[in-house]
Amino acid sequence: MQSETPKKIFSSLLVIILDVNPAQDTLLSGEIKLSSILSSVVAFANSHLMLRTHNKVAVLASDPNSCDFIYSDQDELDFKKKTVSSCKMGGSQYELFSHIDRSIKFNIVKFLKDAAEEPHMSRDTVFGASCAKALCYINRLQSNLFPGETMNSRILIISGCDNEGDKYIRCMNTFFTAQKQNVAIDVCSLTHDVTLLKQACYITEGSYFRMPKLEGLLLYLQWIFLTEPSSRKKLVIPLAPQLDFRPFCFCHGTLTAIGFVCSLCLTIYCKISPICTTCEAVFKVRSAIAVKPKKKKIKTTTVNN
Amino acid sequence: MDETEVKEYRWEGGYEKTWEEVKEDEVGNVEWSVKEIIEKSKRLLATRQPNVRLGMMRHLFVIVDSSNSMVEKDLKPTRQLCTYKLLQDFIQDYFDQNPISQLGLITTRNSSAERISELSGNRKYHLEELKKTFGDFNYCNGLMSVQNSLEIALSVMKMLPSHTSKEILIIGSSLSSCDPGEINTTIEMLKTNNIRVSMIHLAAEVRMFRHLCNETKGKHNVIVDDVHFKHILWSLVEPVPLPNSVDASCVKMGFPQELEQKPPFTTCSCHLAEGGKLNAKGFFCPQCNSKYCELPVECKCCGLILVSSLHLARSLHHLVPIKPFIKIELEEGSSAYCYGCRKRIKVPAENVYFCESCKKHYCDGCDIYVHNTLHVCPGCAVKRDEKR
Repeated sequence: MQSETPKKIFSSLLVIILDVNPAQDTLLSGEIKLSSILSSVVAFANSHLMLRTHNKVAVLASDPNSCDFIYSDQDELDFKKKTVSSCKMGGSQYELFSHIDRSIKFNIVKFLKDAAEEPHMSRDTVFGASCAKALCYINRLQSNLFPGETMNSRILIISGCDNEGDKYIRCMNTFFTAQKQNVAIDVCSLTHDVTLLKQACYITEGSYFRMPKLEGLLLYLQWIFLTEPSSRKKLVIPLAPQLDFRPFCFCHGTLTAIGFVCSLCLTIYCKISPICTTCEAVFKVRSAIAVKPKKKKIKTTTVNN
Repeated sequence: MDETEVKEYRWEGGYEKTWEEVKEDEVGNVEWSVKEIIEKSKRLLATRQPNVRLGMMRHLFVIVDSSNSMVEKDLKPTRQLCTYKLLQDFIQDYFDQNPISQLGLITTRNSSAERISELSGNRKYHLEELKKTFGDFNYCNGLMSVQNSLEIALSVMKMLPSHTSKEILIIGSSLSSCDPGEINTTIEMLKTNNIRVSMIHLAAEVRMFRHLCNETKGKHNVIVDDVHFKHILWSLVEPVPLPNSVDASCVKMGFPQELEQKPPFTTCSCHLAEGGKLNAKGFFCPQCNSKYCELPVECKCCGLILVSSLHLARSLHHLVPIKPFIKIELEEGSSAYCYGCRKRIKVPAENVYFCESCKKHYCDGCDIYVHNTLHVCPGCAVKRDEKR
């Protein structure tokens, strides 16, 4: 691809996860069209590429049944194969930008057509799976770097879902992996406050932002999410939201401040129970309580004698 | 555990034809075959059995040999520095993988043993204490005493509740041990307290140490080089299966909220002794309302274990390991995309892996990444019909 240079190369990879779930409130009510979200995303991706020559971008589309790349380095390879003249379309526009625009629009139509064939079983988008895919992609690019090249990566989730039903463990595993690999997860929520995604931002030190109104998506994206997480401290940016880390107990589903945790499977109960319902372990009563009656028995026998 | 006892020494076993594992391809290159062997070893790390009772709450004492023999230069730059570096990584990894577990450090030199850090879940504290003592060039001196250090660990571990997994790891370098009494009585004590002793020896196998590990159902390892040392340490980071005699129990824990105080501000209880600064933010114990600046911690006032739900979530992946992917052969000429990273897999040259539950293809890199680091199969995560 590129000839090896002794110079140090810095690049930044941005993976955008776009929620195209048709059951989003914003899309159902017709307040904003998917096409306008898409054009903002494309413009945002282009402005990220403009910041540095070696910057890379990838886009994932995600809905309740599936998630897939709609722009990745495979599409970029297609671009490099083609001659420059065949790519030229929009007059003076940079060829790569028009290529990104076209391939994203082409792939998302394909994705939506495939998705329409399967009936949707639930309303929640699969963020766990899309983050996992994004991390796999980041991992591959990270391991294919040239010597002397360093790459920062981050993930941006754009969603209008009130998603609470995704699998908790899977999501948490991906968030912790992201944290371990220094991948920040940013979230731009269109309408609802989503606790799960807030936790993702908290864990990976990304930014969370809920749009106060739907107009000007591009403006908000460029204001908050265009800068690298490391330099965001110097900007005036909305504060991170307060988070409550008290868990919901398994038995009653209530918020608990003091809970009882199974030592084998870490299930949280709000009251002591003799058997764990998840792993079927029988809890032993503390020996301190069990020993007492024994002592009494011995005493009584001695008295009788 | 039977396996280690039955295993013979290299020189007692049959003649191993190690070169037969390396096969040539049509052109006569061995590169492909070597790659295969390397990848196999990477995968060995990831194989875990499902449905095993694991000790999620671990208490581990690391006993570090600080005898004269640590100054040897067979590990670069010296045994001491190499161990120090790897031990630092180990402490980090240990708390990453087992956030609600505790660790303590013991060093042994001059025929005696010294507890350099108490059992606690605070990684910064351990790293600082380790730096102060073992990080010092002139620290290693005299002889090692295994029994003294085991006795120190025992005196603490006797008091621990029965549901925790009690483990001791000895990093030994000396071939002898200067002990005050009969070691077999100590071994008996360890056995009755369900303490598992593992050992990593930097030089050679000593019969007594092997016996100690076998009796307490731990693992005895002798390292080949620093890379091997690192691998063995990594294998000890993952939680081990619990012995059957250990009971399950319901542990009372507090989940404090991070709150901001209005003035007047207070100091946190964890830094009170050192004259800590006043700060507004903190976690407040739900039982006695004392303030802490970091989690997880055991409340100094009422003894409640304070954790955040994130700490519990971090350990959960041990309980639901992913099934290994199967290597499959595709027809020559057909092309496959890796479901994880969307890499085009060139079929005859590269391996294709297949997840049985979601029927998706994966490339080499993703297979290792998913099992070793991510712990989520991207294809299975889309499906919703599974438990949890």
